[in-house]
Amino acid sequence: MKIGSLPALTRTTTFRLALLHASIFILFSASLLAYLYYETAGQMSRQAEIELNNEFQELSGAYRGGIDRLNQAVTERSEARGKFFYLLLDSNGQKLSGDFDVLPAAAPEGQVVDVQFEYDARTVDGQPSRRTAEGRISRLSQGGVLMVAYDVGQLGEMNRRISDVVWRSAAVGFVLSLIGGVVISRSAAQRAEQLARTTEGVMAGDLTRRAPVHGSGDEFDRLSEQLNAMLGKLERLVISSRSAGDSIAHDLRSPLTRLRNRLEAGLKENAEDEPRVALAKSIDDVDGLLETFNAVLRLSRVQAGATGSFRRTNLKGIVDELAELYQPVCEEKQLTFTYQPEDDLYVMADTHLIAQAMSNLLDNGVKYTPEGGVLRLTAGHAANGDVELSVIDSGPGIPAQDRERVVERFVRLEQSRSEPGSGLGLSLASAVAEAHSGKLVLGDGDRSSGRLGLSAKLILPAA
Amino acid sequence: MKVLVIEDDADAAAFVRGVLSEAGHFVDVCGDGETGLKQARGGEYDALVVDRMLPGLDGIRLVKGYRDAGGRAPALFLSALGEVDHRVEGLQAGGDDYLTKPYAPSELVARVEALGRRATGDIPTTKLAVGGLEMDLLGRTVHRDGQKIDLQPREFRLLEFLMRHAGQVVTRTMLLEKVWDYHFDPQTNVIDVHVSRLRGKIDKDFDRPLLHTVRGAGYRLEA
Repeated sequence: MKIGSLPALTRTTTFRLALLHASIFILFSASLLAYLYYETAGQMSRQAEIELNNEFQELSGAYRGGIDRLNQAVTERSEARGKFFYLLLDSNGQKLSGDFDVLPAAAPEGQVVDVQFEYDARTVDGQPSRRTAEGRISRLSQGGVLMVAYDVGQLGEMNRRISDVVWRSAAVGFVLSLIGGVVISRSAAQRAEQLARTTEGVMAGDLTRRAPVHGSGDEFDRLSEQLNAMLGKLERLVISSRSAGDSIAHDLRSPLTRLRNRLEAGLKENAEDEPRVALAKSIDDVDGLLETFNAVLRLSRVQAGATGSFRRTNLKGIVDELAELYQPVCEEKQLTFTYQPEDDLYVMADTHLIAQAMSNLLDNGVKYTPEGGVLRLTAGHAANGDVELSVIDSGPGIPAQDRERVVERFVRLEQSRSEPGSGLGLSLASAVAEAHSGKLVLGDGDRSSGRLGLSAKLILPAA
Repeated sequence: MKVLVIEDDADAAAFVRGVLSEAGHFVDVCGDGETGLKQARGGEYDALVVDRMLPGLDGIRLVKGYRDAGGRAPALFLSALGEVDHRVEGLQAGGDDYLTKPYAPSELVARVEALGRRATGDIPTTKLAVGGLEMDLLGRTVHRDGQKIDLQPREFRLLEFLMRHAGQVVTRTMLLEKVWDYHFDPQTNVIDVHVSRLRGKIDKDFDRPLLHTVRGAGYRLEA
């Protein structure tokens, strides 16, 4: 591994998670071992301390009977060869009784001092050995010094072993926890790495790339699903804007060519039209072009889902207003207009889009239904609770085999070419329905006049 | 009217100036946002026409800054961005109207003149009168020469809008936006039919028509 790659390593999630894992593990095991130590080695030291205190207490009880009484007690205890060593000195520093000849440590300046010292002893088989003892030296009130000590050899050995075990297991634990941390965090890091590779692929231009979903429903799956949904939307958006560009190129070319020809004809000496008339017609052409252009843009935005603010709305109000707006024009054209609304048509909707889609359907109905025909506007619920808004006319209708096609952009059936319009009305209505997770369904309309009629129905999920 | 046009595209600015001058207004033109804001605050303008996308300070921030500084002249946004949310953004920033490019010259004139009227007639009124036509906004009644005229609620609002802009040209798009709150143009002549119905009620039995059709532009209510 290169040195330069070290900082990069420390930045990885694996490293950080492993370190965190190890730190937490060490914290826990350190507390555990500390407790273990406290309960074993610590307990032994404390026990010795208590016994030392008892010894002193008993000897000071003896001292209350005078120095000779104390001397006697020390001599007895020393000869009993118990756990403790003793030394009693008189006020001149001369030994009175005990196991040592001189104080193995300095006499205390004050009253009492705890000491630790080494002394020479012989083992059972007569070998000399240096041993460690701990004890307490106390100055007596009437002069003289008393020392009580105990050999810590056994206790110290125990302590050392326990602390050895503690340290060794801490080291092993640290290594194990690091390995554990790496193993755990590696799997997380791998998932993150997969996500990163997906986005890299997308950035490189492959919009069909999707992040893997493992099906466990964990956070990474949720993240992947979100990312995939986002990528799906992005892909649709790109495709939509691409196809909008294609449509514009395709469908604006012919009117632009017509406009150009008209202008050129107007320039000629013996022009068919007066120049002013030619100009006026050209302006009409341009207006038509702009209208188509705007319709294409609006359609693309709706299809891409880039527009609209959706709110839970009762569509009855919107359809009421549309009925009121269109009724006069129907009467003007001697169409029998009927409107039968139900109430509580709640939908998550962008009201402007719904109004525009319905307006397109009503425009079509008014345009294509001959005088004396029928135009019905309905707003109600489907059997499954969905909200249905429909416009039913008694016009020529659309043959069943053409119904899918007319929803596509710019498709206009032969007989309707003479009518004004961009050919985007049904496409927009369909796109609006899809933006609301609904659909536009075309069917047979009112056949009372002998014609096929058209029923255009927006089906929107109820909210 | 004295109008300040803030538009960075020289051709578009010249077009707006030409259209408004021809309609009899005094027009100043300014090419960028910073100086536009300064000029708007310094001059006594009856209306501002502001392009939404300007170098330096964009139109939205310009109008906001102008309003924050206490400027009261009504502002009309011109923009190629015509979606409803763009419109709402413009109106929230303190704009009074919003016109999407491209637009017909008559539409621009009609809207600017409608703005000027709003600025001067801000005082709440309870009665409107044009010729012999009187509207009582509280009682929701309309009389012409003392004769009561019955109107549907929408017809009432349509007439109210026309009366508030009496003498001015009002376009179909303006009626759709202000009376119906629709921001799209239906392919059928729905507005014309509504207006002709209203005309039938207020003009039919009288010698002198008040509601005139302005060819290629819209309608005008005038005594």
